[in-house]
Amino acid sequence: MFKKVLIANRGEIAVRIIRACRELGLETVAVFSEVDRNALHVRYADEAYLLGPAPSRESYLRADKILDIAKKSGADAIHPGYGFLAEREDFAAKCADLGIAFIGPKPSSIAAMGDKGKARATVIKAGVPVVPGTEDVGNMTNEDLLKIAPTIGFPLLIKATAGGGGKGMREVKSIGEMPALLESARREAESAFGDGNVYLEKLVEGARHIEFQILADSHGNVIHLGERECSIQRRHQKLLEEAPSPFMDEELREKMGSVAVKSAQAVDYVNAGTIEFLVDKDKNFYFLEMNTRLQVEHPITEMITGVDIVAEQIRIARGRQLSYTQDQIKFNGHAIECRVNAEDPFNNFIPSTGRIAHSLLPTGPGVRVDTGVYPGFEITPYYDPMIAKLIVWGETRAQAILRMRRALEEYRIVGVRTNIPFHQTLMDSHRFMGGQFDTRFVEERFSMDTENASDPNVEIAAILATLVAHQQTERSARIFRPNERDTSNWKWVGRWERMHR
Amino acid sequence: MKYITTVDGKEYLIEVVDEKHIRVGDRLLAVDFESVNGQPVFSVILDGKSYESFISESDEGWQVLMRGKQYQITVEDEREKRLRAAAGGGVAEGGEFNLKAPMPGLVVAIPVSEGQEIKKGQVLIILESMKMQNELKSPKDGIAERIRVKAGESVEQKQALLSVK
Repeated sequence: MFKKVLIANRGEIAVRIIRACRELGLETVAVFSEVDRNALHVRYADEAYLLGPAPSRESYLRADKILDIAKKSGADAIHPGYGFLAEREDFAAKCADLGIAFIGPKPSSIAAMGDKGKARATVIKAGVPVVPGTEDVGNMTNEDLLKIAPTIGFPLLIKATAGGGGKGMREVKSIGEMPALLESARREAESAFGDGNVYLEKLVEGARHIEFQILADSHGNVIHLGERECSIQRRHQKLLEEAPSPFMDEELREKMGSVAVKSAQAVDYVNAGTIEFLVDKDKNFYFLEMNTRLQVEHPITEMITGVDIVAEQIRIARGRQLSYTQDQIKFNGHAIECRVNAEDPFNNFIPSTGRIAHSLLPTGPGVRVDTGVYPGFEITPYYDPMIAKLIVWGETRAQAILRMRRALEEYRIVGVRTNIPFHQTLMDSHRFMGGQFDTRFVEERFSMDTENASDPNVEIAAILATLVAHQQTERSARIFRPNERDTSNWKWVGRWERMHR
Repeated sequence: MKYITTVDGKEYLIEVVDEKHIRVGDRLLAVDFESVNGQPVFSVILDGKSYESFISESDEGWQVLMRGKQYQITVEDEREKRLRAAAGGGVAEGGEFNLKAPMPGLVVAIPVSEGQEIKKGQVLIILESMKMQNELKSPKDGIAERIRVKAGESVEQKQALLSVK
């Protein structure tokens, strides 16, 4: 049984894992890059070690250094979080070689599910439905892909074999634009994952993105914790998740849940994992991929089931049985998570960097904030723009929406631009309230431009701007008020210029 | 001091009467105005009603962010307004597009070269920031000129990258 856990990650997820370890009485070891010296995970952990310069390649992706630090500090377990080394089978294998418990699945399961081509082949064998596409392992040349594309049909998606989080993903409407898109997808995949291989997949139109959380122990028990609705996306990046899905019914949940369990069993899966599905409007569902790690949006499942997923991960890695059987999993109420990103929703969601000057977190009933930033912390361009997750729980979906609206209004972050106004606009959208949306909703049927005509706050905004402008004018007038100096201003300027020549 | 404040083409006549009072049109309002903690966050109590907003200055005037909405606002005093009216609207279009980095990041590639003919919508530079690659496109047809950066170079926000003439 391990006693000291190294967290091979940064930001909010590193903090989340440290919290679970603390509650379980485990010691924690943080690793950090040069720009993260003052990050919260470094401050919260029992020990902290420098990895290297800011770029991930030289810090959080340096498996060799991380393993050295584990040995040096006496950490006997590693939690990889999400991203970085979380889905690298070679890293999990090296941990095993060194006798360090990897808090995640076996290397063979990561390999089977990590390569999306192989994953599809595996689940097809287990009788799980998949989206039509190039099922075989990546490594297809552009020529081959261009040849095969018309047989899949347009529109289709180019996806990175090693991918995740929408990186290296491109939508293709016709064969004509495909060569250029292949190039840019490969380039992005190469820079993000060090692997430029891509594959093709039919684009299911009007699709919802619904995923199932599963937990599996090393004694052969596999359960699911229900679904998460993740259709609110932009550029294939999830922005908001909720559980349960407003689209789900009990029958479909049972069917998809058992398919999710079956998919996990097909690769002999152990630990926490997520099976992602596309669901079309007729409730046909297709296996999309399996994420062999903790998900960003795991808290909403925790809110409605009461299961601490990270604690359960640690329990599983210690070789113990799951704390729950499938029958004991009950869903209570509704949870929503908004991802707060450092980007400007009024300016095409351009990333925003800078120092957090001021931050006031929402609190109160049913509100949880997972974040790794605080006032004074610098948001750099090196890592993911997600700086916080705002999660609320309500007895019903309607109550959760009202609570999220309230919490978003309370949340103040100054110093960087955030997408909080995007979430506020979304909460006011009738389609969102009605649960009528698919994965294209944000890009095609949503706008930040709202009508100002009936908005009672326009005048207030005008007054506020005027007061600030007035204050500024007053201040500059005070600075340049004439005759306050003993010499005339002209003389003074002349002297000043001579001095600076 | 009297100001003419414009939001989406609608003008408001706002007079700062003294420290505690303003006049909007012909209504006199009691005002209590504070900046929160020295931050660009402002709290105002107008005749007992409390509002808070984030306000920043941009090239086009003031940006007021309040209750999830952003308002683009220009504030002019009477003299400025008269001057602008006298100068007459409509500055001649320069016809040159200067591409500036919309965010700090790393130049991944520059798929165009100097003197090259550019079509509207063509990718000029690929900039990576926060793990996402962003394709910066040309808003007009023209000729690529004055490429000031190289692939692999880090750039600051608003740094000039190249021009399309």
